[in-house]
Amino acid sequence: MTNNKTYILGERALVIEIAQSTLTPQQQNKLFALHTWMREQKVFIDIVPAKTTITGYLMHSQDPEFWLEQMQVAWENIEPQEFKPTTHEIITHYGGQYGPDLEEVAQLLTLSAAQVIELHSSCTYQVKFLGFLPGFAYLGDLDKQLQLPRLASPRTHVPKGSVAIAEDLTAIYPSESPGGWRLIGHTSTNLFDHQLDTPSIFQPGDIVKFIPSKESAC
Amino acid sequence: MLKTLKGGIQACVQDLGRSGYRHLGVSQAGVLDPLAMQYANTLLHNPEYTSVIEITVGLCQFEFLLDTNFSITGADLGAKLNGQNLDSNWRYAVKAGDILSFSSSKDGLRAYLAVQGGFQLDAVLNSYSTDLQAGFGGLAGHQLKDGDVLSYESFPPLSKVGAALPKYNNRIRVLEGPHCELIGSSKLQTFIAQQWQVLPQSNRMGVRLEGEQDLSHTQSIPSQAVMPGIIQLPPNGKPIILGNDCQTTGGYPIIAQVIEADLRHLSQLVAGQSCTFELVTREEAKQATELQAKHLAQLKIAINNNDKNTK
Repeated sequence: MTNNKTYILGERALVIEIAQSTLTPQQQNKLFALHTWMREQKVFIDIVPAKTTITGYLMHSQDPEFWLEQMQVAWENIEPQEFKPTTHEIITHYGGQYGPDLEEVAQLLTLSAAQVIELHSSCTYQVKFLGFLPGFAYLGDLDKQLQLPRLASPRTHVPKGSVAIAEDLTAIYPSESPGGWRLIGHTSTNLFDHQLDTPSIFQPGDIVKFIPSKESAC
Repeated sequence: MLKTLKGGIQACVQDLGRSGYRHLGVSQAGVLDPLAMQYANTLLHNPEYTSVIEITVGLCQFEFLLDTNFSITGADLGAKLNGQNLDSNWRYAVKAGDILSFSSSKDGLRAYLAVQGGFQLDAVLNSYSTDLQAGFGGLAGHQLKDGDVLSYESFPPLSKVGAALPKYNNRIRVLEGPHCELIGSSKLQTFIAQQWQVLPQSNRMGVRLEGEQDLSHTQSIPSQAVMPGIIQLPPNGKPIILGNDCQTTGGYPIIAQVIEADLRHLSQLVAGQSCTFELVTREEAKQATELQAKHLAQLKIAINNNDKNTK
């Protein structure tokens, strides 16, 4: 059994926290399967998976203790393979104008730009959770050989569609914003459209693969 | 139609906020003072959730282009109709061409302007709230600027009537947060025992505080879901009370959570003002919410009776 902690946050947010710094792939998929189970209960107005937690916001503040116990029971019984993720392929133009940090990243890692592209695009990532901006997905895990801290001073304008890395994660900026991640490429795929009922193409738990475009700097 | 002659510091369309999209990183947004907003709507027989204009600080001016009734609630920001002083928490009838202006106040920060029947706008992700960070909702995703026009329907005049909005308070009730043990259990006691000053960097994303006692620490937590009212304690020891435009996840330890019924008090705290916190139980929080619902229900009955008798 996993070591976890459950609590009520405020008046009606229910939290399950897996007391580890990172989750195993099995625990991660179990968390996403729990997300599906929680949606089916129709008592939560919002359910937010995060790094090692899942938080459900009850519609009303009636009986949070009962639902916390139900969540706990569901967590114990759910199987990771109940979760069926969608896979997305993201055509990415590495380097050049929209990947201005690619050369520096390669230098800092003592790799060539081509090796950075190869390492970044040769594995699949999972959407761990979304946050920071609408449609901003934290994708993990980045290959150990590509891990670098964030920029010491964040940029005030990161263009929409920028493909970036920081620590053990990679991400795509769904809209222009300030940001401290290192920009290695760009995609023209639109990630978030507030006019749509399903505004984000990425859902928690989805699988993402980056495909280098022919024009990528190699 | 309502024409914005002067946008002022910040005026934006808000309703009770967005839900169901937090897992995609979409903030709640919505009015910071839900009770004042619901009073504004109730005075006009609007459904409680009808969108209103949230005015922060003031210094704005509007022109009504059609006859209707409007209400203003929340803080008294020196509202005037064609130069005549108005009372806060009242409704008034207006004629086309009438000008409503707001100055500002040292004691309050936010007022709500509602029109009978509400403003005619397109919902974005099931809400009319302006998400100022993401740039959608409300009127084209931005705060009202000079020349902006909001549509509304015309209504015949109603009698002038006012409501007694429960008083604002700078003693804020909180529940204990989940990370008090992590940051050292004495931190919560220190947090409760001292007076806090509201910093000028406060906005719809959060209220930033500064106090005399040192609450600094070296802890962080894995990013987890956060919501309005959560009090984060960053390592610098200066608490941030999250507001409706806060991000959906955060990695600072949570020392406490403002009870839902007291979020309205936060919305009125002006930079430089002080506030204190009082630790309560979840049961007390629930009672406070129920009490507000009762006030609102009583107002509805009173307004309905008033308008039945004057017709």
